Amino acid sequence: MNPALAGALQRGDIRRGDAFAVAPAPTLGSGFPLLDAELPGGGWPRGALTELLAEHEGIGELGLLLPALATLTAAGRAVLLVAPPHAAHAPAWAAAGVRLDCLRLVFPRRPRDALWAGVEALRCGGVAATLLWPDAMLRDGLPANSLRRLQVAAGEGGGAAFLLRPARFAAPASPAPLRLQLHAAEGRLRVQLLKRRGPPARHDILLDVRRPALLSQAFPHALAGAALPAASGSRRRSRAAA
Amino acid sequence: MNLAPDALRLDIGASLRLFGGLPALLQQVRDDLAAMDLPARLAVAATPLAALWLVRAGDGAVCTDLAATRAALASVPMDALRLAPPLARRIEGFGLRRLGDVLALPRASLGARLGKPFVVDLARALGELPDPQACFAFPERFEQALELPAPVEAAPVLLFAARRLVAALAGWLAARNGAVRAIDCLIEHGHGQVTALPLAFSAPVHEAARIERVLKESLDALRLPAPALALRLCAPQTVVREAGSLVLFDGAGQRQEALAELLDRLAARLGAPAVQGLACHADHRPEHASRAHPANPAGAPATTLPRPLWLLDPPEVLRESRGRPQRAGPLRLAAGPERIESGWWDGADARRDYFIAIDGAGRWLWIFRDPRPPGGWFLHGVFA
Repeated sequence: MNPALAGALQRGDIRRGDAFAVAPAPTLGSGFPLLDAELPGGGWPRGALTELLAEHEGIGELGLLLPALATLTAAGRAVLLVAPPHAAHAPAWAAAGVRLDCLRLVFPRRPRDALWAGVEALRCGGVAATLLWPDAMLRDGLPANSLRRLQVAAGEGGGAAFLLRPARFAAPASPAPLRLQLHAAEGRLRVQLLKRRGPPARHDILLDVRRPALLSQAFPHALAGAALPAASGSRRRSRAAA
Repeated sequence: MNLAPDALRLDIGASLRLFGGLPALLQQVRDDLAAMDLPARLAVAATPLAALWLVRAGDGAVCTDLAATRAALASVPMDALRLAPPLARRIEGFGLRRLGDVLALPRASLGARLGKPFVVDLARALGELPDPQACFAFPERFEQALELPAPVEAAPVLLFAARRLVAALAGWLAARNGAVRAIDCLIEHGHGQVTALPLAFSAPVHEAARIERVLKESLDALRLPAPALALRLCAPQTVVREAGSLVLFDGAGQRQEALAELLDRLAARLGAPAVQGLACHADHRPEHASRAHPANPAGAPATTLPRPLWLLDPPEVLRESRGRPQRAGPLRLAAGPERIESGWWDGADARRDYFIAIDGAGRWLWIFRDPRPPGGWFLHGVFA
């Protein structure tokens, strides 16, 4: 190889297409070894945007983040949810291992405020992870220049930064260095690596994210009917079974 | 340090070394005054009274010993002493225009003609008698107002004027080693009309910059009902500043502080209800199981059964077809029912049978059926 070229390739900001980039900041373990193996630096990046483009809501898109959030909050680090789509149900977050006193939720009323709150949260060194739903209230989604502002802010703050977006925004280009598309797969989560600082992913990853325990494990006293019995009937039968 | 009418007197004798000499100290005082936009004259003298008279006579007199002070006082006009009018008229009647004229006369006859208090003042100014000064005591409660030079229509513009009040507050806090959790900013529109802008901080604050940043967000979000004529800043309560020595070691304190500041600014701009915490509350009804502004952040959940991360408020009504709930196609019931029956005591009683349902697209949902008429199916949560 040309020595000048070899020298240039030693630079930290240049990456060869067949190798993972060296993550600028230590990454945050995702809690899923299969996934960590596919992520540059072996975990969720800090100081850069990660886009999670979920096919639908309720397929386990947050389940993908819960182990990391549990680790951070267990260490007393703060996690901020900006413009979440619904009210958080405390018992579920607690059951997932998230320390609730480290969790803060921000509910801006206008898209402009949501972007501002997102930028401020990402910039803040006191926030270890920010989860942002940036497209709420925006029909055409977040404009590209706003995404760039978020990416710059994430670099300043140095925390993990997750954008949770609908899958229809997967096609437009984005400045986020890591983009994952999430699909439901029979109670598991299929993760498609759309973009990463590394060689293109050859295959999707199937992960067992946290799903509610089903049937008899969760409801030992109740009857689980796939076909729907009348509620009163089911209780009678469960008593009979007991 | 104390205040005379129109004048601030500082005892600087003991501070010269600290500030790097007299010229440097004077320059700093001038810079600070300029930063607060206060036009001022300075004079330095060996006695407090001489300094006061000299500064009333003009700017820039610097006399570091008694001899120089005495020499400088000779040219001070008698007006600068601000004597009581009858006394001033009598001195004028004698033809004495300058302090030097008075000092040239024998002191004993001066006492007989102009009264003993005047002679005592002269002796104090010349350093012949001690002149003990009462130290300025900071007021117990901070309240300061500022008239605006012109009516202000847009709230964000008020920040420039408010900076001066915030700087004064920070100085007042520094002198007391205090900090504040809340301050009131009152915007006066005249005719007794006032807009109150309370600022709350999650942790006690004392730096001007931090108070200013929260104030900025509050002002940015504010729409004035009428032009503002004056600003007033009050600190009703102060707390003792906490020592911050632990934070040097692990950075956790700095992170906490950065987070507290962020939350303050978010609350200031978005409104306090928009920034929420989360805690469990021991209630079986899901809609009452979370607290957004927890008084006790360590509440325990009422159940360990599976619960969804998101809760819909209000629950979404689901269509029913042949006895089965529908949402973009029929829902498959994966677990349930779990009967929740509670709240009869507070009028919001609920009796519901909950199921975990999976729709055709793979969404995991938490739905319930109301067994009481008119009944029906509802979507209450999402297992995200």
